[in-house]
Amino acid sequence: MDLLLHLAVVAAIYSIFALGLNIEVGYTGLFNFGHVAFFAIGAYASALLTLQGVPFSLALIAGIACAGLGGLLIGIPALKLQGDYFGIATLGFAEIVRMILQNQVAWTKGPMGLPGIPRPEIFSWHVDTLPAYLFLSLGAATLTFLVIGFLTLSPFGRVLKAVRDDETAAAVLGKNPFAYKMVSFVIGSCFAGLAGVLWAHFITFVSPGDFTLTETILVLLVVVLGGKGTLWGPVVGAVVLIFFQESIRFLRLPPEWSGILGPLQQMIFGLLLVVLMIFRPEGLIREKGRETVDRA
Amino acid sequence: MDSLPYYLQTVLNGILAGCIYALFAMGLTLIYGVLNFVNFAHGELIMWGAYFLYLAMAEPFALPLYAAVPLALGMTALLGAAMDFAVFRPLRRANRLTLLIAAIGISFFLRNAAQLFWGAQVRTYGFEIQQGYRWMGLSLTPQQLAIIVISLICIVGVYLLFFKSRIGKSMRALADNLDLARISGIYTQKVILSAWIISSLLAGTGGILMAMDTNLNPEMGVVNLIKAFAATLIGGVGNLWGALIGGLIIGLAENIAVLYISPGYKDAVAFVIMVIILLARPYVVAGERSD
Repeated sequence: MDLLLHLAVVAAIYSIFALGLNIEVGYTGLFNFGHVAFFAIGAYASALLTLQGVPFSLALIAGIACAGLGGLLIGIPALKLQGDYFGIATLGFAEIVRMILQNQVAWTKGPMGLPGIPRPEIFSWHVDTLPAYLFLSLGAATLTFLVIGFLTLSPFGRVLKAVRDDETAAAVLGKNPFAYKMVSFVIGSCFAGLAGVLWAHFITFVSPGDFTLTETILVLLVVVLGGKGTLWGPVVGAVVLIFFQESIRFLRLPPEWSGILGPLQQMIFGLLLVVLMIFRPEGLIREKGRETVDRA
Repeated sequence: MDSLPYYLQTVLNGILAGCIYALFAMGLTLIYGVLNFVNFAHGELIMWGAYFLYLAMAEPFALPLYAAVPLALGMTALLGAAMDFAVFRPLRRANRLTLLIAAIGISFFLRNAAQLFWGAQVRTYGFEIQQGYRWMGLSLTPQQLAIIVISLICIVGVYLLFFKSRIGKSMRALADNLDLARISGIYTQKVILSAWIISSLLAGTGGILMAMDTNLNPEMGVVNLIKAFAATLIGGVGNLWGALIGGLIIGLAENIAVLYISPGYKDAVAFVIMVIILLARPYVVAGERSD
């Protein structure tokens, strides 16, 4: 039962993480391959602040703000880039963030990580049991879902899709593509930050090793599997994938297999991405009003 | 420590690293030129090239170096061609996002496959450490000399192939306009296949040289992909000579920067250069795009 609750919390956090990525990849067509960087920024910012005795609600806001600010700063040079270049730039940025976490030992304790991150305390509500944490993360996920849903169904969301489908046409109609991409990128980063904060206080330990390309691939797979450019896609993807990932633990495989199992599982994830792209690029849920096979 | 020879040695090391980055960058830019996308799995070709040699030289094969190197390069070329055949060819007309996600998927697959077979630990080929040639306070090991010589051979080879041969001419035609090349009677499949083979050979050679000079680990792919990409950005994407110069600049900048900053940030130098270029010369990238 506890395991199930644990899975539900992780799935909720990953839903938030993926909803943030979906607004970038799915709606705006930004190939962000460094989404994990903002997750890490949120997690570390909030962890460091609460370990200094700052209340959770302030640390939460700070974590989101730091992630958003990171998005803004990297967006200024990177969003000038087209498609694949943006992908490499964000991939590089994520590596840099990890490098900073690893090397700035004075702040982050480097590879040792930060243990003992306190469980959240919102005013007088102590979120220290599993059901309470599930309540908190489901609440946050619902809020994220509503905000993203509102944004993407609004005229703003339609402009994002227009920028994605034909940047020049959007510019001709008087929409500034750079500004819209920037807003989308910052919003996505803020939600990654929120997911990071929730993650840090749930696991109560963060280290640079938690924020590698593996997490980016996982969240990308969540979005792509669920259906990019759809509201429910990331949620469905997160639930399916997290349960698949964790269900391997139920198999009770011999412990000496664990060195093999990790890479094997990640090979499956990589392969799944490739197979999806070849056979069903639209994912489980198809975006309405879009052709099955879109041309270059 | 702070003397002139020490400084010159740093420059020499920078040139050595730069030669290897140039090989990576030329392979990356070649595929970009012909197929118009950044191959995110290029780093994995580098890494697998190095591991193929390790495989051939370790038990149970234990081949001597002169036999193992051609075998490893052949395997790398085969891997590149297989990648194209299995993934990129079905997606030739797909949209860009689909292509990129597939590329990053393969890259992740190959990286973890290496980890599955060899584990995450750092390995070396186990060559004996050789006494370097000394000259004016500079030291250069035979392996490092080999890096320079082999890189030069590769660069000249690429030049001859690209500008003096029929297949090179076809490649350039394809890079200009795929449909036009096709109706002019160029057999595009063959040209694309040769581009993959050359790109993989360059990646494999660079990977082996790098692993000889330093070590092998499954993470070496992604780091070098970013460096190769930064190098192509310096020289202008799709430009072979630009990639060569860009590689040398990255190598030099990295090694000189380590004199002043913590070595933990060495790999960040390429990224910082990349950001500076993007801020200063965004048109380098914005030009010459078909989409």
